[in-house]
Amino acid sequence: MNEVIKITDVSKIYNPEAIPVKAVDGVTLTVEAGEFTALVGPSGSGKTTLLNLIGGLDHPTSGTVEIAGTNITTMRENALIDFRLRHIGFVFQAYNLVPVLSAQENVELVMLLQGKSAKERSDRAKELLASVGLPDKLDKRPSELSGGQQQRVAVARALASKPGFILADEPTANLDSVSTSNLLDIMTRLNKENNMTFIFSTHDQRVIDKARRVIKLVDGKIESDSRQ
Amino acid sequence: MIFKVAWRNIWRNPARSLVVIASVAAGLYAGMLLIAIFNGFVVQEIDSAVHTQLAHIQIHAPAFSEDKDIKIVLPNGTELEEKLKNIPGITGVSGRIITTGMISSATAAAGMEIHGIDARDEQRVSKVSEMMLQGSYFKTPRPNSVVLGSTLAEKLGVKMNSKIVLTFQSATGDLTAGSFRISGIFKTTNSMFDQSTVFVQKADLATITGTLNNLHEIAILCADIKQVDATTSDLKKQYPALKVESWKEISPEMAMVTSIFDQMMYIIIGIILLALMFGIINTMLMAVLERQREFGILMAIGMNKPRIFMMILWETVILTMAGIPVGIGATLASLAYLSKAGLDLTQFSKSLSQYGIGNIIYPVLQPAVFLPITIFTAITAILSALYPAWKALRFKPAVAIHKI
Ligand SMILES: Nc1ncnc2c1ncn2[C@@H]1O[C@H](COP(=O)(O)OP(=O)(O)OP(=O)(O)O)[C@@H](O)[C@H]1O
Ligand SMILES: [Mg+2]
Repeated sequence: MNEVIKITDVSKIYNPEAIPVKAVDGVTLTVEAGEFTALVGPSGSGKTTLLNLIGGLDHPTSGTVEIAGTNITTMRENALIDFRLRHIGFVFQAYNLVPVLSAQENVELVMLLQGKSAKERSDRAKELLASVGLPDKLDKRPSELSGGQQQRVAVARALASKPGFILADEPTANLDSVSTSNLLDIMTRLNKENNMTFIFSTHDQRVIDKARRVIKLVDGKIESDSRQ
Repeated sequence: MIFKVAWRNIWRNPARSLVVIASVAAGLYAGMLLIAIFNGFVVQEIDSAVHTQLAHIQIHAPAFSEDKDIKIVLPNGTELEEKLKNIPGITGVSGRIITTGMISSATAAAGMEIHGIDARDEQRVSKVSEMMLQGSYFKTPRPNSVVLGSTLAEKLGVKMNSKIVLTFQSATGDLTAGSFRISGIFKTTNSMFDQSTVFVQKADLATITGTLNNLHEIAILCADIKQVDATTSDLKKQYPALKVESWKEISPEMAMVTSIFDQMMYIIIGIILLALMFGIINTMLMAVLERQREFGILMAIGMNKPRIFMMILWETVILTMAGIPVGIGATLASLAYLSKAGLDLTQFSKSLSQYGIGNIIYPVLQPAVFLPITIFTAITAILSALYPAWKALRFKPAVAIHKI
């Protein structure tokens, strides 16, 4: 067994002084390499908050977050940025990309931050963009790409840093059904062929249907956790 | 690529970038031009005072300056005058007989300082001869001719060739008078000087006062105003019994103009740079706040704070570097024109010339000023980027990502 994510009794309370909101409430969860997990639940159930905690974008109020065997719960901001760079890939709902950079440059950016050579960056960026079906869009700026194409570039960028897993918060929420299934096909293929671990939140039943594990959150608690 | 992002961000909102470039250019331009105008004014004012009243160096018998007593002459004045003419670095020496007295026309009279001069010597020290409105500065020397200022001529109600009477003390202490004919009317930029000084030929005055071969004052002009201090101290050592004074010592208030100018310059530049600073802070802060989400995402995917900081700094540096040549270019263009055409202050000239200020200022900028001003401007611009950049570092990625 290879645990990439291990969170133990994690809670996140917003506004602890004024009107406290318990966005995540005592969640314990492990995710293993190669899993393809959907995080579901009604609006306000804590999906985004939980993904932020796993991704080291936010600190839990209590509990511990371990990523790839490292406890990041109390890690400082600067160390966390570096940790994210090396271990976690992100895909957000929309407008993921740096608008002034081309698709290829956007993908290269993370590798540049990792200190990879120009040749390696360029080769890998082209390869990744080809694998998400955009071999002919290397020089296009985000504004010249459709929403679905932008999300595919974002997936390529997330893969570029060779992360342990990819977190995606409602990656298809802004997409039409064709683009949604397109993106999902790519994610599924990457999961199957490269054993890439994905955790994504969604409201879309067609997306949920593709997941192999579905975790349902209600009021910040895990209501169900099933493999299908 | 950090630089590339910064560079391309500039083109994202060209109007805003232009605002920053324009403010840097305008700040630089305003600062340099003001300095040039002030500097031109000071140079002219000193020049005008030096070439009418002060010369570079004056030599008197120690007690003379106090009440300008006609009896207190320079010992061996004429010999001294000849000796001084041979010192290298000294371009003009004029021995003067000076006395105070009254000038009267048929209708009016005024108190006066009368300078008995040798026109050829005086012209090497003073530019009054170049400021003639009518007549000439003793070009065709007739005995008992007098040259006076236009304001005084008006006050006395006299014209060219009018007769006036000069009354003064003779060397023996008696009151004597002489009748003179006006052979020239001058107008300097200093109306005080124009009203209080008249020129006659040394020989004429000496005859009347009985001070033949005596001098009260020797005025000296050096080849370069920068040599004055050194030459003065040399002469002081050489003639310890005499009172040798540089123009700064004779007119400390004129010397002070320079230091007041320096202080005003610093204040004005400070204000300009402060305005520039607020302009840039404001613009860059807008740019940063607009891109909050972008910075959030960059931090999320692993761009560290020094890099984000540099990205914003680069943007400002590029804009500043674009603004600086524009500002310098505009300054040089304006100066090329203004240093020839001058800045016409005629509409203020009535009040200004009372203070000895000329009508037209010719702005001059010492080349030495360019570099420090440019550096100050660049530093200000970059300092102004620090706050917006720091603001960007404070974004929390989890929050910033959800900003639109
Ligand atoms: N920064 C915040 N400050 C205060 N409360 C917050 C903050 N972010 C989220 N919340 C609250 O925490 C709870 C969980 O929010 P969260 O965004 O995690 O839900 P979600 O499941 O992602 O919802 P959605 O499906 O609408 O995206 C909600 O009640 C929300 O109002
Ligand atoms: Mg959400």
